Amino acid sequence: MKQTKSKSLLRAAVGVAMGVSVAAAMTFTADTALAQKVGVSWNNFQEERWKTDEAAIKAALEAAGAEYISTDAQSSAEKQLTDIESLIAQGANALIVLAQDSEAVQPAVQRALDEGVPVIGYDRLIEMPGVFYITFDNREVGRMQARAVFDVQPTGNYVFIKGNSADPNADFVHSGQLDVLQDAIDAGDIKNVGESYTDNWNPSVAQTNMEQFLTANDNNVDAVISSNDGMAGGVVAALTAQGLAGSVPVSGQDGDHAALNRVALGSQTVSVWKDARSLGKAAGEAAVELASGKALNEVTGAVVFSNGPKGVDMNSILLAPVPVTEDNLNLVIDAGWISKDAVCQGVPAGRVDVCG
Amino acid sequence: MSRARTICLGVALALASMPAAAEPAAAPTGDVPDFIDDAEAAGITHAYTGPWEFFVGGGVAAFDCDGDRRPDLFLAGGTSPAQLMRNASETGGPLRFDAVPLDVDAKELEKITGAYPLDVDNDGVLDLFVLRLGRNLLLRGEGDCRFRKANDLWAFDGGNDWTTAFAATFEAGQQFPTLAIGNYVDRKAPGAPFGTCADSWLARPAPGDAPSYSDQSPLSPSYCTLSMLFTDWNQSGVPALRVTNDRQYYRGGQEQLWNVEPGARPRLFTAGEGWQHLSIWGMGIAEADLDADGYPEYALTSMGDTKLQQLDAEAEDGLPVYSDIAFQRGATAQRPYQGEDYRPSTGWHSQFADVNNDGLFDLFIAKGNVEAMPEFAAYDPDNLLLGQWDGRFVEVGGAAGLAADTRGRGAAIVDLNLDGMLDIVVVNRNAPIGLFRNRGVRTEWGHMPMGNWIAIELEQPDINKVAIGARVSVKTGNRTVTRTIAVGGGHASGQLGFVHAGLGTAERAEVRIKWPDGEWSHTYRVFANNFVRIERSAPAAGYWLPPPKP
Repeated sequence: MKQTKSKSLLRAAVGVAMGVSVAAAMTFTADTALAQKVGVSWNNFQEERWKTDEAAIKAALEAAGAEYISTDAQSSAEKQLTDIESLIAQGANALIVLAQDSEAVQPAVQRALDEGVPVIGYDRLIEMPGVFYITFDNREVGRMQARAVFDVQPTGNYVFIKGNSADPNADFVHSGQLDVLQDAIDAGDIKNVGESYTDNWNPSVAQTNMEQFLTANDNNVDAVISSNDGMAGGVVAALTAQGLAGSVPVSGQDGDHAALNRVALGSQTVSVWKDARSLGKAAGEAAVELASGKALNEVTGAVVFSNGPKGVDMNSILLAPVPVTEDNLNLVIDAGWISKDAVCQGVPAGRVDVCG
Repeated sequence: MSRARTICLGVALALASMPAAAEPAAAPTGDVPDFIDDAEAAGITHAYTGPWEFFVGGGVAAFDCDGDRRPDLFLAGGTSPAQLMRNASETGGPLRFDAVPLDVDAKELEKITGAYPLDVDNDGVLDLFVLRLGRNLLLRGEGDCRFRKANDLWAFDGGNDWTTAFAATFEAGQQFPTLAIGNYVDRKAPGAPFGTCADSWLARPAPGDAPSYSDQSPLSPSYCTLSMLFTDWNQSGVPALRVTNDRQYYRGGQEQLWNVEPGARPRLFTAGEGWQHLSIWGMGIAEADLDADGYPEYALTSMGDTKLQQLDAEAEDGLPVYSDIAFQRGATAQRPYQGEDYRPSTGWHSQFADVNNDGLFDLFIAKGNVEAMPEFAAYDPDNLLLGQWDGRFVEVGGAAGLAADTRGRGAAIVDLNLDGMLDIVVVNRNAPIGLFRNRGVRTEWGHMPMGNWIAIELEQPDINKVAIGARVSVKTGNRTVTRTIAVGGGHASGQLGFVHAGLGTAERAEVRIKWPDGEWSHTYRVFANNFVRIERSAPAAGYWLPPPKP
């Protein structure tokens, strides 16, 4: 605590030396003399998944001696606007915003920036200059999916089940898949025999599309690159109906419990898992750095991301996810993400090590 | 004095910074009506069904087709045939409907998404505009609930689009209505459904003594429209066309307001004219002049927040700049108000009406998951937001008996049994319709009626007989509430007939009409709890007494 304070004062002094106005530096000193306050605007805290993120953010803030305040927009984009103003009014030195609607939230974010409060867009891109972005590297997700499938099936007829076309993540993921597979496609080793976006990442839509691709190709499909686990479930259902489940590799992401079970059963090859604990930790640490005056591009691990729909250069931390295959299923169990019973349900003895 | 003030200020600040979640759930000040679903007992078995193309739509038209002034119902069925139900309810009694066969090709009674009543040919018998996946229909009412397809008679092509919205107005100088036809996704375009919205159309009547709609022009660009409404937003006397669009499928689109001047090509209001970019999953439009300033407010349904838009008082005069007052008025209705599902909800039909007869507008919103969208609530009950004297809205859907576990779509709020209390029809996707009869307030000894009311029917001579575009102004004491007669808005659902107004404790009311051509009527003094007929050419208003049986 003491150390943090003196560091901040030092940084403030450096700020003056670097030509920051004296008035601004004084305000800055006065603020940092107190504990830093990081405000988190959750879009809907009733969703179970954010509890993990919150615990990780809190732990990171506590380690840095910073205070945690939060609001819950209860799924209302309109309420989130007032929430953010309320966090500013309560003296937040930095904001972490999980946007309900990344477009509608922008006026409030702009107000925060205008008042000198740095903002981190958490998990969902708020594509505005001056906002920091923390997410998992979705392009890397696609690469990991493609690598895992390519390893077991380097040639043949591939089907691509992409996400919702309105969701920029769907294209990030797909571009990562192509990073790995394009050479093989160009060489003619891999043939794209079916590709579709999937309305709302809906599993039953994915299943219907997969059924059509199977019919169109007389079941001659050798691998399926599905962009997430829910859709992989639809794909596997379509394959099962043709007696192909288990012989055709299938990718996914999210570490869905059903998907991890499929990985253990052998009907799904990989589920790329995003550990919410690492996302929360990174956001907490970045918020403290920003609150203590670091510029966006000085944040530890910051890179420039410019692949948003509008192409804005965003200072970002892009975390690497983890590809979970039958060889490392223990990772998700050890992390407490899923129980061994859930992973191993219905798995015959001797199929995977982790299930015995 | 000054110290007390400081403390007060401190408390106010502390309250202001408290999260809204800490606010206790407000109790409504008005009566909460008690609804009972009469659908099965009334003899209606009907559901809106079908694959992806019928995730949207599911409308109902409520209007009198046999001249007995009891509202009959035309129900869209998607892949199931549409049904026409004749109202056989006794006055004040339980609801009763009889199916009436329609003399229309059975194939054309399928793939129907919605319907709006209107009188196309000024014969005093209501006709129907029927929205379809494929060719739209104009059905000419011939009385006694008989209809005949009039596409050829009125030179209306009907197109081959996926139609999901409709609105109509009588433009100055025209003898017949102008039709706005709202289309959704063009399924055949490359890359469909994403970014492939079909054009909507404006059909103006050709000159002549009979309706003829051979002349249609595109409302381009269109952005996958789910509701449209002609509305005199600026009191100019020339209604503009308000359009709400589904951002799920458009790319680079937004909400729209078309300037539709008589004789001129429709023109979009631009950002330079104050129109602000707003991108929502627009499903339905409701209009009401909540603050009685002559400028209507709009409730727009979407996924998550409902928008409640008010003309911005600080904007320059004459510019269509709207601010969203839904949050401050307690009308966002962004997630289920009961149950354990905290995901955002999905709103469809929206409509303002006074269901408890206290003189204040209430807001009904039909809710329901698109199909099985994982990020949105599965149990998503319809909303009934009771208007309060402080301008806020309080949710009473559960207490009113409307919290059914169904996927609501279109709806109508209409007095089906002529007891002076508004009932609610909701069309549900893949489930029987809800036919909610308003029984008044529940007490320990039975049900009691709520406030007083009045129901008003207008009639003009010759052209636009039902007076689309007229404003009905009802004054009790010093308070005036106005309603506009419109064909359009909601979600694929329309209604015509008596205009219902709650009067609270007032025993009489002063009614004035601003006729569609802008002329104000004199004041009609009428007694509460009556059905009133106002003929433009007659000096006095008349009362109509519903017979006990149809």
